[in-house]
Amino acid sequence: MRRMVARRLLGAVIQLFFVTIAAWLLFYVIARFTGASPAQRIAGKTASAAQVALVAKLLGLDKPYWQQYLIFLGHLIHGNFGYSYFQDRPVSSILWPATRATASLVFGAALIWLSVAAPIGAYGGLRQRSIGDVVGRGLAIVGMSIPVFWLAPMMAYFFAFEPTQGRILGLSILPTGTTLFPITGYVDLGTSPIEWAYHLILPWITLAVGFAAVYIRYIRTLTAEQLGEDYTRTAKAKGASTSRILVRHVGRNVAPTMTVLLGADIATALSGVFFVETVFNIPGLGWTGVYAIENLDYPVITGVVIVCAVIAVLANTIVDLLHGVLDPRLRRLAAR
Amino acid sequence: MTIEMPVLEQDLEQEMGRPVRLRTQVFRRLRRDPVSMFAFSVLVFLVLAAIFGGPLAAHLTGHPPNAQFANALASDSQPIGVMQRVYEANGITHNPHGSLFILGADSLGRDLLVRVLYGARISLLVAGGATALALIIGISLGLLAGYLGGWVDGLVNRMTETAMAFPNLLLAVGIAVVIGPGILNVVIIIALFTWYYPCRIVRSATASTKQMTFVAAARTMGARPRRILLVHLLPQVWGPLLVYATSIIANNILFEAGLSYLGVGVPAPTASWGSMLSDAVTSSMYTVDLPLALIPGLALLITMLSFNLLGDGLRDALDPKGARR
Repeated sequence: MRRMVARRLLGAVIQLFFVTIAAWLLFYVIARFTGASPAQRIAGKTASAAQVALVAKLLGLDKPYWQQYLIFLGHLIHGNFGYSYFQDRPVSSILWPATRATASLVFGAALIWLSVAAPIGAYGGLRQRSIGDVVGRGLAIVGMSIPVFWLAPMMAYFFAFEPTQGRILGLSILPTGTTLFPITGYVDLGTSPIEWAYHLILPWITLAVGFAAVYIRYIRTLTAEQLGEDYTRTAKAKGASTSRILVRHVGRNVAPTMTVLLGADIATALSGVFFVETVFNIPGLGWTGVYAIENLDYPVITGVVIVCAVIAVLANTIVDLLHGVLDPRLRRLAAR
Repeated sequence: MTIEMPVLEQDLEQEMGRPVRLRTQVFRRLRRDPVSMFAFSVLVFLVLAAIFGGPLAAHLTGHPPNAQFANALASDSQPIGVMQRVYEANGITHNPHGSLFILGADSLGRDLLVRVLYGARISLLVAGGATALALIIGISLGLLAGYLGGWVDGLVNRMTETAMAFPNLLLAVGIAVVIGPGILNVVIIIALFTWYYPCRIVRSATASTKQMTFVAAARTMGARPRRILLVHLLPQVWGPLLVYATSIIANNILFEAGLSYLGVGVPAPTASWGSMLSDAVTSSMYTVDLPLALIPGLALLITMLSFNLLGDGLRDALDPKGARR
């Protein structure tokens, strides 16, 4: 077990190392040939050549590339992501609150999509080709096909904007100026948990729809597979109720696989965050990233990419370790 | 009393006493599935719309996709809605009855219908191109890794693992920012993030198939590695690849739209569903004229849905048990 953990952690460190190399190459080396140099960007357009050279020296840009990379990596390890070109403050002070907001969004959405998909998927696996199953599968394939960057404005329009005009789904039945859900804005969990949840309901649902769809399909397939196994037949033969079989037997065997999928999808959800956050104005990593891209604020873009990659790698690692805990077969395999 | 035979399997396996080719069987099963056939016809219609729809609509309405009609704005300089007529449209139209904007116009006075049809072109072109490129890279690397094994296999595996560790969209946006916008750049970027799916499928299929006797037989008969790869190993994986290709195309359409939505995809003023959506949303114009966001989004939804349904149908048809999962 300990060896498995050590190997997995080492793998994670190597992945992160690759991530930093790729991010550095992209934003510090290639970017220099395609746009203005970082020294020029910081010194300003009107700076003299001597001033630019001075800034370059201060940033260490006159050193060989491998040294520059080591300096970059050293700074990263100390949590130093450099200084934003546009906002007059260090990138790390921008990234930390953004990460909190994004984490709120992603974990809340994950909770929603799991709790929606589990019953629908399990029912579909249990009663294949029943009406409920057909409807569930239909919903799933539609949910999979809805682009999140379309769903976000549509949700904002129908559930937040229209009520302020006194309409809901085109029907004028509300008093003008009704606030059903706030269109934009974000309140930190520490400030007010109720406001936090209220502001996040629409973003949570928006982000969750696509994943709920995929999870209905996962859970349905896995449940159907497990119900065909001998052990579930034994459980049924000894008189266990359907709900007991589903929860105690099937659930126990589906859980490890679901955990692994969840790890990968938390990472995938970070892509959806870009669109959801910009539409609902949540100052998270996606919003920060889009804003930085518009301004070609490379230090911030780099920071966002690296933080997201770290979250993705961490999620996958934690989930793999959890998988080992949940699935005794893996432990035995690792012990051998 | 007669024993009921499963009709489906019976007539599939036998045709004039000869075993039916797998490919024929699969297409026959697919043809029997009304949902797949419906999805397929929608896609055929979509391709036709992409090729002929744009120019046809532009010709009939007299509105080129990027032409801005100053008069196609309401008096409060907001976009006109569905089925509105515009008179004296910039001298381009001399129609006394006015010029009809079937789905209205956007905030720059461009015809929404014409632009959605031209957008289909970009979507299919970019997604198709990126998928083809991803398949070429993925299949070649997968075949090589699976067949040669050893350090080549190790290298390809590390490459796929690293590529998968990155948050896709984020890095794609980063690369797009650095190398700049352009249709070809978008195709390359999307391919860069999708090649590893086909690669892994082909690799594992090749690695297991190369152990089979027929490959050894081919080798004994003096077949070169290239012939073994292309004639003996590649045909074994076309089924799963086909299923994957449909879902990759669907994802790539979404990918292109996403990049264009974020402003790093197909450059303006070329119409793309993603950039049309983002124009409507970032300017909040869609709260005034909902079709601006509704129509490109519905176009995307219908396309994605058709590809996903067809992909599901293909997978079921390829499943040797013929059972729906």
